[in-house]
Amino acid sequence: MLTMKRPYQLTALVLFFFSVLIAYESLQLKYYTPLGPGPGFFPFWLSLCLAALAVAMFYQATFKKAAPRPADFVDTRVGYLRAFTMCTAWIWATLMLERLGYRLTMLVFFPLLLLSLGRVKGFLVILISILGSVVAYYVFSIFLSVPLPVGPLDWVFEPIDDLLY
Amino acid sequence: MEAFKSLMDGFAICLQWQYLFFAILGCLVGTVIGVLPGVGPAAGTAMLLPLTFGMSPIASIIMLSAIYYGSMYGGTITSVLVNVPGEAASAITCLDGYAMARKGRAGSALAMAAIGSFIGGNVATLGLVLLALPLTAVALKFGPPEFFCLMLVGLSLATTLASQSVVRALVSAVLGLLLAMVGIDPVMGVPRFTFGEKELLDGIGIVPIAMGLFGIGELLLTAEGSKSSVIHTRLREMWPSYQEFKTSIWPIIRGTGIGFFLGLIPGVGVLVPTFISYAVEKKISKTPEKFGTGMIEGVAAPETANNAYCNAAMIPLFTLGVPGSAVIAILMSAFMMNGLIPGPFLFKEHPDIAWAVIASFYVGNLILLVMNLPMIPIWVSFLRIPTPILYTLILGFCVIGSYSAHNSVFDVGLTLFFGFIGYAFKKLDIPLAPMILTVILGPLMERALRQSLEMSRGDFTIFFTRPISAALLGLTAIFVVTSLMKMASKIKEDRVV
Repeated sequence: MLTMKRPYQLTALVLFFFSVLIAYESLQLKYYTPLGPGPGFFPFWLSLCLAALAVAMFYQATFKKAAPRPADFVDTRVGYLRAFTMCTAWIWATLMLERLGYRLTMLVFFPLLLLSLGRVKGFLVILISILGSVVAYYVFSIFLSVPLPVGPLDWVFEPIDDLLY
Repeated sequence: MEAFKSLMDGFAICLQWQYLFFAILGCLVGTVIGVLPGVGPAAGTAMLLPLTFGMSPIASIIMLSAIYYGSMYGGTITSVLVNVPGEAASAITCLDGYAMARKGRAGSALAMAAIGSFIGGNVATLGLVLLALPLTAVALKFGPPEFFCLMLVGLSLATTLASQSVVRALVSAVLGLLLAMVGIDPVMGVPRFTFGEKELLDGIGIVPIAMGLFGIGELLLTAEGSKSSVIHTRLREMWPSYQEFKTSIWPIIRGTGIGFFLGLIPGVGVLVPTFISYAVEKKISKTPEKFGTGMIEGVAAPETANNAYCNAAMIPLFTLGVPGSAVIAILMSAFMMNGLIPGPFLFKEHPDIAWAVIASFYVGNLILLVMNLPMIPIWVSFLRIPTPILYTLILGFCVIGSYSAHNSVFDVGLTLFFGFIGYAFKKLDIPLAPMILTVILGPLMERALRQSLEMSRGDFTIFFTRPISAALLGLTAIFVVTSLMKMASKIKEDRVV
């Protein structure tokens, strides 16, 4: 039977190396100053705590009976593909939001997700994409005063801009 | 008696139709802001501040206050319905509120949150009327050592949020504290853990962390198929059962007390009372293992504490002119823009305004209850939206929310990063709540610790020689020891980690 032993051992190792990195970075900062504890004081002790916890986790995983691994710990290929699509859409938004502007970025973002996450009717895909990108832009920028990014190709929306602003 | 007479005068003003209109409008707008992930109370109140420039001082402050507590309730709605906290204070409600929604009890969770919020808010406002000055005097005795020890109590309670293992809960808590260290050092002004990235100089905002851990992490799990993707609820089950009412009475009372007391201490933040009240309920429950699976106490207590805190946090503002949180600071700026200085002189020079605003808190809480209970079917109907559409819309709102918090695409990227962390932690059964709590507590704790040691010139006995801090340390020790004992007995029983 598969158990959680290996995942926790790996997690403990990652945490231990992370704590070493933090301890090293903390020591680059002042530990103590004439005014009292310096900027490195708190993180240094926290890194030691994390290292101790990583050791405790590794010990528990190795020497205590591990819990069985949940059936859904590793999912289906289709499931991973859906999650991958969501990440891809998000990365697209992160990279293009300030380059293309909110409206054009999200005009790609919404259909990409709607078509990949499940069966959605074509007219709904178009409607939601327009609502989520163009309409949401005006709602947020005009009614909620949240400035969303504009891009160099946003001149295509000029007629609507002229009408609303 | 004089306070009650002044309060009645305040009611006479705030019940005029134009102020009533602004209170209703504020509650509606606030609820919508709370529903939108990422646009939290602080961002929402700040965004809408310019709208009140043309209003009278009373109307402006009544509306902004209504937006504030309206957004608090709105945040609960998305926490319960889609497991995305509309604002950080509702993060803890995700644990049991969402679990209740998955069981078809979304209506009960929302109704109990509204009732708890109403009770908590009104009791706290009564405290504002009656106990403002004496209680604030107690809170004023809290120096940095007491404040640090109070944070330790919060932290030790956070470990009780652990699902299985205290070690995993502590890992989460320490990682949260380390995240809070990122940015400019508050005392020496030196950048820490920024790795040359100027976007990190201001630290990591709570929005990308909370939205990533709770929102994106859950969405990734759902999309992957680890959990059932469609939640169905029946409208006839929307009202809490008699048993749920009965079970919620004490959590509501305790939540009111915790929220009220912590509201008096400036800087605690709204997350702390919600997490502490949740942890207290779990600690004293006969079935703590069922928390996170849809316990009504897990919704009633934090939601009550949330609203009690919001109203009690007005006490230091009204009596001392000290804002206790970011939203209160924005409200304070609204006072000042209208030529009013919050503090003891406000009651002396502008008693009509001070008491009208206080009376409006009662009116606003009533409006929220009356408005939100009948609207529960509308919020519950959100669950009937097909999953691909609902999650696409949530992801879209999350993009807007994570961007608009600081107008930064860096935050959008960070949100995905924390989404991965949330996803991995859920797979590994590492609780997320301690991390969120310590991200908030971290800077406060560090500042209090360093100020304390500066006061004592590096002598750690300062924490033991002051009675309040010593008592709080004792409380921390009790919590830690009982948690460790519980874990040891669990390992003995199950031999499973």
